Amino acid sequence: MSKKLKSLTVNPCKMCMPMGAVHAFYGIARCMTLLHGSQGCSTYIRRHMATHYNEPVDIASSSMTEEGTVYGGEKNLIKGIHNLCRLYDPDVVGIATTCLSETIGEDIEGIIKKYHAQYPESRVRLIPVSSGGYMGTQFEGYFRTLRSILRHVDMKKEKHDRINIITGMLSPADVRTLKDILSLFPIAYILLPDASDNLDGGYEESYRRLPDNGTTLEEISLMAGSRLTIELSLFCPPEDSPGEYLKEAYGVPLVRLGPPVGLRDTDAFIKLLSEISGAPIPERLKGEQGRYLDAMIDSHKYNAEGRAVVFGDPDFVYSMVRLCCENGLLPVVSATGTSSPRLLELLHDEIGKIAPGLFDEEYAVLDKADFERIEELALEKKANLFIGSSDARRIEEKHGIPLVRCAFPIHDRVGGQRISTLGYSGSLNLLDSLTNTLLKIKEGNYRKALFETYFKDSKVEAPQACGVSATDLHPCFSCTGAHRYARIHLPVAPDCNIQCKYCVRKFDCPNESRPGVTSQVLTPEEALQRFLDAKKRLSNLTVVGIAGPGDALADFDKTRETLRLIREHDPNVIFCISTNGLALPQYADELVALGVSHVTITINAVDVEIASQIYSHVTMMGMRYSGMAGAAMLVSNQLLGLKLLASRGVTCKVNCVVLQGINDHHIETVVEKVKSLGAAITNIMQLIPVKGSAFEHLEMVSAKTINEIRKRCERILPQMYHCKQCRADAVGLLGEDQSLILYGKKEPVQEVPREKKGLRFAVATRSGILVDQHFGKVDEFLIYEYHDGRVAYIERRPIGQYCTGGMDACDSQEDKMTRILKALHDCEGVIALRIGVAPQRRLEEKGIHTYTTYDGIHEAIAKIAREMTGEEAV
Amino acid sequence: MSKVDRILDKYSARVYKNRKLHIIEKTEDNHEISANTRTIPGIMTNRGCCYAGCKGVVLGPIKDVAIITHGPIGCGFYSWGTRRNKARGDKHTKNFVEYCFSTDMQEPDIVFGGEKKLKQAIKEVVEIFDPDAIMICATCPVGLIGDDIHAVAAEAEKLYNRKVVAFSCEGYKGVSQSGGHHIANNGLMRHIIGTGDRVPTKYSINILGEYNIGGDAWEVERILKRIGYDIVVNIPGDSSIHEIENAHIAHLNLVQCHRSINYVADMLKDKYGTSWLKVNFIGVSSTVKSLRDIARYFNDPELTARTEEVIAEELAAIHDEMEYYKSKLKGKTAALFVGGSRSHHYQKLLKDFGVETIMAGYEFAHRDDYEGREVLPFIKEDADSKNIESLRIEKDERRYRLYLSEEQYEKLRKEIPLDYYEGMIKDMEKGTIIIDDMNHFETEEIIRILKPDIFFSGIKDKYVIQKAGILSRQLHSYDYSGPYAGFNGAVNFGRDVLMGLTTPAWGLVKAPWKNSPMIEGHLQEVV
Repeated sequence: MSKKLKSLTVNPCKMCMPMGAVHAFYGIARCMTLLHGSQGCSTYIRRHMATHYNEPVDIASSSMTEEGTVYGGEKNLIKGIHNLCRLYDPDVVGIATTCLSETIGEDIEGIIKKYHAQYPESRVRLIPVSSGGYMGTQFEGYFRTLRSILRHVDMKKEKHDRINIITGMLSPADVRTLKDILSLFPIAYILLPDASDNLDGGYEESYRRLPDNGTTLEEISLMAGSRLTIELSLFCPPEDSPGEYLKEAYGVPLVRLGPPVGLRDTDAFIKLLSEISGAPIPERLKGEQGRYLDAMIDSHKYNAEGRAVVFGDPDFVYSMVRLCCENGLLPVVSATGTSSPRLLELLHDEIGKIAPGLFDEEYAVLDKADFERIEELALEKKANLFIGSSDARRIEEKHGIPLVRCAFPIHDRVGGQRISTLGYSGSLNLLDSLTNTLLKIKEGNYRKALFETYFKDSKVEAPQACGVSATDLHPCFSCTGAHRYARIHLPVAPDCNIQCKYCVRKFDCPNESRPGVTSQVLTPEEALQRFLDAKKRLSNLTVVGIAGPGDALADFDKTRETLRLIREHDPNVIFCISTNGLALPQYADELVALGVSHVTITINAVDVEIASQIYSHVTMMGMRYSGMAGAAMLVSNQLLGLKLLASRGVTCKVNCVVLQGINDHHIETVVEKVKSLGAAITNIMQLIPVKGSAFEHLEMVSAKTINEIRKRCERILPQMYHCKQCRADAVGLLGEDQSLILYGKKEPVQEVPREKKGLRFAVATRSGILVDQHFGKVDEFLIYEYHDGRVAYIERRPIGQYCTGGMDACDSQEDKMTRILKALHDCEGVIALRIGVAPQRRLEEKGIHTYTTYDGIHEAIAKIAREMTGEEAV
Repeated sequence: MSKVDRILDKYSARVYKNRKLHIIEKTEDNHEISANTRTIPGIMTNRGCCYAGCKGVVLGPIKDVAIITHGPIGCGFYSWGTRRNKARGDKHTKNFVEYCFSTDMQEPDIVFGGEKKLKQAIKEVVEIFDPDAIMICATCPVGLIGDDIHAVAAEAEKLYNRKVVAFSCEGYKGVSQSGGHHIANNGLMRHIIGTGDRVPTKYSINILGEYNIGGDAWEVERILKRIGYDIVVNIPGDSSIHEIENAHIAHLNLVQCHRSINYVADMLKDKYGTSWLKVNFIGVSSTVKSLRDIARYFNDPELTARTEEVIAEELAAIHDEMEYYKSKLKGKTAALFVGGSRSHHYQKLLKDFGVETIMAGYEFAHRDDYEGREVLPFIKEDADSKNIESLRIEKDERRYRLYLSEEQYEKLRKEIPLDYYEGMIKDMEKGTIIIDDMNHFETEEIIRILKPDIFFSGIKDKYVIQKAGILSRQLHSYDYSGPYAGFNGAVNFGRDVLMGLTTPAWGLVKAPWKNSPMIEGHLQEVV
């Protein structure tokens, strides 16, 4: 089985016979073990057991030297037994042979006789076991020792009502569980062996160096008269089996069961105990079984993703494989270092039943395995879980495949003595460990897995030639284009997936160029119709943009459908979208495929801590993340999205809103970062504080400062100076919004003033729907009249911006203010989002009241007018 | 009753007679101790075997060599990653330290011989791992069944065109690991050292006997490299076979672990004329002393100045932490039972923290490690030591060179431990106890009688000590911590010891020996 390797074992998956012998003797009361051979055997085994059990482990040695190899080890062995008895006063001394004493053919039985002849007063029971290191593994050594113990104790043949329970190498905790289960039945039993105290002692007032708990010689002597032996091992070779010996020599009936691990084997064991004792299954066990079943169902969906490698003793491997299989966790590799053809057969039966259901017939079972082969197979079968001793830790470290440590020896964790796998409770404990290990992989990797599934394999294409030339036709990306080519923004995307602190969701997103305020959200079909209408009127319409009113990618289905429909009718029009970038990595490839050549991403910070002050939360895949986590997710997706798009030839503009005291010193860093990722231009914008938002009271950064920042950043990347902060449904050339005309919300502008009937208000608005503009930013006011409880639109009055905020700063403010006063002479009030103190005073001097609000135009006027007239709301 | 007699009280007359020679209390004049003799069967010795000393200790840390354990599976398994000798591979150097290669001999191999299997295993290891060199280590049955592993090695060396060296380190040879050290030393000297052709630089040195447990060698190398030494090789911690090939070119050998590597040091002296200097990089004061001794050997004002500069900087960097730990540890008492050098080395480090050593012992040291090399001519050879080959080394006329003139050498020998080790006992205080090859029973007696605050030893007695209510720190594996060597290591050590002493659990358990009254007597009613 093991590849071509026949002679070289690389990283063994087994130990030697004396290791098993020592374990067996450790479960006998007042017993010491002496290994007959070189002292290294004792030292090595003590070291391994002490590390695992965290207990003193005393194993004596006959300390044979070269002389002994020539003249035999008799002298040393007799001396060793004598000294051991003197210092420890044991009832039993187990004498296990080693490679050395076996090879030179020591006659242990003979030496024992000589010892007794030499020390006739000694009452110690000497039990030899033939356990040369080359004669088998610790698995056979263990059972052979138990069998030898039975052979060397004076048996009492009188029949009695007890049963014998013989176990494999169980952890002390598992032995306690076993005794606990037995105590629930009216059964008298003899447990062989029982190391539960000797290898897991407590902290006591006085330390006793002789392990005085465990199965006593008295109990062992009764085993010949028991009514039944239950041997909890399926793979112990018959010639080493203690149960077989009791059957052959004393006619004690034998039942062999697998260790009670997992549902089926625990059920079988409990059922047998119930039958033997004639007692019903205790409620407590029924409860435990119910909880285990419940857990099996609760965790099945995670377990189904498990691909386990199980390795160790044959009984352990079989138990673990059965537990895995009943939980739908596929054991892709099952391996034992021992030679056990029967195990392979049973494993095939077990795994073969479940594998087809998991659509995977490819599993491996092997005996005489070493870790080199196990590692190879684990990688081949794409295992994601190891179950066994800590010997697979090197594979765990090398390949990152987690290891659940639940077998001897464990060198790199504590608690080896408390491994719990037996009964329903132990099985549940183990199952939880397995499931949680799988969950840990899942929880730790799902973002990576998503990325690799959806984005990683996408091809990075060379920049498209058309992307470059198209930019010249795009008003938002090209200064030349700004004045010659028209665009249409289609408001098809109402949802948003982040919460900016400067945004009031009531009026949609002011994020990308503060455009979020539109009169109406269109379906993709309506959007197509509007595009076709606009195209008829505007021959220079080159660009279709989707800028919200939420985020173009938050509900991508609508954006996708809109672009698809338009593309069917116009193969040449440029597609442009605006987004906060959160969902960009997910849709970047689709955007490219749809022919989107220009994308604007609003990135206000590339530092997570700064970003966390700007965004209150982000929503991703149905989960809301706030604080640093949310910010980190947003920033990384923005940057990744930008890189993905830029690398695919999409022209990317990055908008950046300057927030006083938050990111105003960080803007250059942002620009540098986005440049490195391929952004073509940045648009650094002023924040307009919106009432009701978290940043309502944030001080505005002055236009002067904005221009200074832009100047500095210009050295890094081209800057957009001509941004008019469009609305989401803008149509036409920048600064010449045709939307109100086009969409039929208002009559075409009449320049002739109508007769004044009621209160007149000049409204600072960009959207035409909301009061959403700063007084200083206005280049035209919309004039409304309030009359008889009704608000009516009168006309637009262009005045030229009061503060240009442009490159040539505020030169002739006075002239402009005068112009405004003149233009608004017939108004009772001015309603704006914000207004400076100086113009406010000037207006008030002329008897024109000023109101600041962020509200619908009609609602604002009605409210203000009613206050002025003292009318009650209708 | 003296302390020694109280420890020995329970032994039978025969064992008493034997053990009495291995346990002494230091007085003005009495330094003689019995060591490196056979372990008494049946008492719980901490000693390992010859294979453990050869494969486990000396050869194991060489990283680019595939060491095949020829024998049944146990020995290979138990020596796999057992010691914490760290190694780093890189693009040019393979690293097999994490691997265990074994021929896993079965019963038929014992009956019919294992040479065929060994040959096949060598072929496979070459095909799969292509190691730079191969070593074969024998376990007990190999020598008994008469496998000629040296012939197999010689044949394979020709066949695969790389070094293949066999070591007959069957577990029963010698009386402890120590025999295995010697056998490994012999193999390195006979087959590997001297086959390289590197050219020495001005300050070329070797470190011998630093095993890089928990990264100790890396800390030592860091300091030496800062000063400007060219370290040809550290044998064996994190070493490459190709570095060892050049060990003969160094101008000076620094011997850290005298017990396990003094054979190579002596043989290098005999064959190539290279002197060795006993150093100790465990402990701040001893590290400083060692650095100054090395500088004196080279006797170059620039190097001396640089040495002092580095010492000053290193001391300044750890000063505050050392003072803090010292303030907490001062006045505590320690017992040490480690292999063959550490029990001496760590006394110096403990002294840096004001911790007093009240008992120290070695598992497998020889008399010279206790009493100093001046006793070497008086150590009687016995059957066991005769069984370990002592290599006869001839002078290499072509490459033999002396770095110092005879006059300089004689002068310097009076000032620094050049080609000399003073042993552990001279450094110990009057009234302290020295125990050779201590066993489990004696460990308990020491705790009962001497009640040290901290017991430094290994994993096998760790839990005995802890159950007795005393802090145990492992000096073989460092309890998964380290490095403890050099300047930074000293700080780690102070932190670990203090952390152990202040563990809240000690306050919640009562040491068993605290349950029995310290003074026994009776009350007499006064009339």
